[in-house]
Amino acid sequence: MTEPDAELLEVFREEATERLDSMVETLLALEAGGAQPEAIDSLFRDAHSIKGSAGMVGVEEVRAIAHKMEDALEDARKRGEFAHELTDPMLRATDALRHAVGGEGGMASGALQELSAVIAQRGRGPGVAEAAPAAEAAPEPASGAPKERRSMRMSTEKVDRLFEAVGETVLHSRRLERLVVADAALEREDEHLEGELGRGELLLSELQDSVIQLRTLPLGSITARFPRAVRDLAATYDKQVQLVITGADTQLDRTILDGISETISHLLSNAVAHGIEPPEERERAGKAARGRIDLRAGQRGSLVAIEVADDGRGVALELLQKAGEGGALADTLAEAGFSTAEEVTEVSGRGVGLDAVKSHVESLGGSLEVHSSPGEGTTVTMLLPLTLALLRVLVVERSGQRFGLPLTSVEEVLIVSDTLSLGGREAIEVRGQSIPVADLGLIIGGAVQELPERRQAVIVASSGRRVAALCDRIVEEQEAVVKSLGPLLTAVSGYLGAAIMNDGGIALILDPAFLTRRLPRGAVAAVAPEGERPPSKVLVVDDQFAVRQLQRSILEAAGYQVVTARDGREALTKVAGEPDIELVVTDIEMPEMDGIELLRTIRADTDQASLPVVVVTSRTGEEDRRRGLDAGADAYIVKDHFDQNALLETVDRLLTR
Amino acid sequence: MSALHVRVRVAGEEYALPVEEVLEVAELGDVTPLPGAAAAVVGVRNLRGQVVPVVDLGTVMGLPGGSAPQRIVIAEAGGRKAALAVDRVAGVEQLPEASEEVESPHLVRAALADGSLVGVVDVGSVLDAVQGPPQR
Repeated sequence: MTEPDAELLEVFREEATERLDSMVETLLALEAGGAQPEAIDSLFRDAHSIKGSAGMVGVEEVRAIAHKMEDALEDARKRGEFAHELTDPMLRATDALRHAVGGEGGMASGALQELSAVIAQRGRGPGVAEAAPAAEAAPEPASGAPKERRSMRMSTEKVDRLFEAVGETVLHSRRLERLVVADAALEREDEHLEGELGRGELLLSELQDSVIQLRTLPLGSITARFPRAVRDLAATYDKQVQLVITGADTQLDRTILDGISETISHLLSNAVAHGIEPPEERERAGKAARGRIDLRAGQRGSLVAIEVADDGRGVALELLQKAGEGGALADTLAEAGFSTAEEVTEVSGRGVGLDAVKSHVESLGGSLEVHSSPGEGTTVTMLLPLTLALLRVLVVERSGQRFGLPLTSVEEVLIVSDTLSLGGREAIEVRGQSIPVADLGLIIGGAVQELPERRQAVIVASSGRRVAALCDRIVEEQEAVVKSLGPLLTAVSGYLGAAIMNDGGIALILDPAFLTRRLPRGAVAAVAPEGERPPSKVLVVDDQFAVRQLQRSILEAAGYQVVTARDGREALTKVAGEPDIELVVTDIEMPEMDGIELLRTIRADTDQASLPVVVVTSRTGEEDRRRGLDAGADAYIVKDHFDQNALLETVDRLLTR
Repeated sequence: MSALHVRVRVAGEEYALPVEEVLEVAELGDVTPLPGAAAAVVGVRNLRGQVVPVVDLGTVMGLPGGSAPQRIVIAEAGGRKAALAVDRVAGVEQLPEASEEVESPHLVRAALADGSLVGVVDVGSVLDAVQGPPQR
């Protein structure tokens, strides 16, 4: 056999990866000074074992690196201590190994050289000649039964297939039961039959539980690399950060775990880069120089909560206030992170990429919560479903096609009669809240037939956003096994998957986050002109006449009503005198009162604090940007990049959200 | 690779798929449209409990309107499975090894059989064309 067996190679990769994770953990513990004396032995055993199996499957590069690590560890064992300067080369060697194990070469020579250099250097130091007496310890403990976990490796596809089959069987038995019970009720009472039915249900649910467990893994299976990543990242920012992981044994569905690893690592990076302050700043604030990030996991009812909490500076007060005005902090931050190049790209750091995190969590049927106290820290909580086993869905029909909506996102079902117009879009008022109305078929971009006169709508909610989705008919509520659309269709957004209905047909399971976020103008039912609201009034503040006129003409052409002011002071007078002003576009540098001062004053006024403010300036400096952001700007447009589309898009977005 | 192929007919043209890449042949059946997918994706179909994308081979080959799919050929390439909708499945047979020049990016080669030109479909390339960015 010249080529190693593919399956054997896969087993080798998984084992090597586990060993590497354990090595990194041990190395970090050694560095922190909290490791036991047997730590070096444990490292040696891991390296030795990787070397051994690499030789077996013929991966030469892996064998070479592992061998060199053994050399370095052998030396450490002789001395009975793990030298501090070994940590970095060893960590990098684990990286090189990981690459080589994954089939990508190229990092070996660097890692080998570095290790050799450290070994040689140590060799020159005092004490190398004294060969340690205890050097002969065998790599594997010869006696004492090793605590071996009996396990079986299995392809995830096989498990998924079993999982789906069991799900379908559960659904099938429910249908069968319904038929039998209906039949029995007509004819006669059959205790025996009912007893057997009950037993069948019990057995089946046991089977289902064990299959679900087969597909769950502890969170710990993905957290191994985080301590290292946090350490490395903190070092690049000259910060000191300790990562504490609790609840690593919390079980999660593998399909959820697969995607969540990157998300957690994103949240950790955010916490290190923007949450935790530099040591000096922390000490000034009376905190320990070393920051702390907690990664906690635990079950909350039918959900699993994964939290990333830092004890850093917390999010900007302005954002907290804004969030307080309605809508969750997670939304405010995610929206701030939603920005084009001309706009705000960093809002006290915390908005960056949070929209991506949020939409990922939502695509898994979960939600995101953020809590923050200024000066005390920020906690981001992801609430995820325990499993994607059987999803309860509401089946609706539109244009002859069935769709499933996850029941967790359905707030209510109603008949739409009286609607109002909001910003040129149709909306309904439900218990004092106005919710946009849109045709379900148009939201997802399908061909649609005319809606019935009696319009039925499902109120779908996802992370604080709502939409009243119009459909032809509400079919029923049922449990469904959600199947993936497969690798060919991963680029198609809007669906959590598909479910096979009782009659063998397919219902597409819709992604609530997609429905609530995606409201193209065309999808919204036409608005009766007499219901039209007067155009939004925008205040343009700039000391130059030409700029004011330019902005006025752009905004007026787009249908806005425009008033102007020459400086901050005049702007404040206008804002106070004309309460129908819905948005302010302001320059920064102006006489009398500049844009920043104007912004601060608006934010400090409880009546005006939520007024959207767009800052326009010719200055591109980071400092100016930060001043604008700190003062609470909603968006930032750089004059150098000024184009009318950027302005209109920003104004439009701020006014319609 | 053997020269054994599944011969199909789409919009009046003759195509063939290498048997190695064909899992089975079935009736078109009920196809559920999938809004937002590429134009060539007719929808998804329930194939014995599996959800399989149905791709209109005629559309991918640039033969608009001319096809009236009746049958599907379930093909797999690069771990991606799809049902290619065709008008008719003509059978499984050996194709002559001798190749004719072809220009279509979705054909591996073409062969002359029974006096007509038969395009040998590059299943991987057809699936790549469908997998592109969303159309919405």
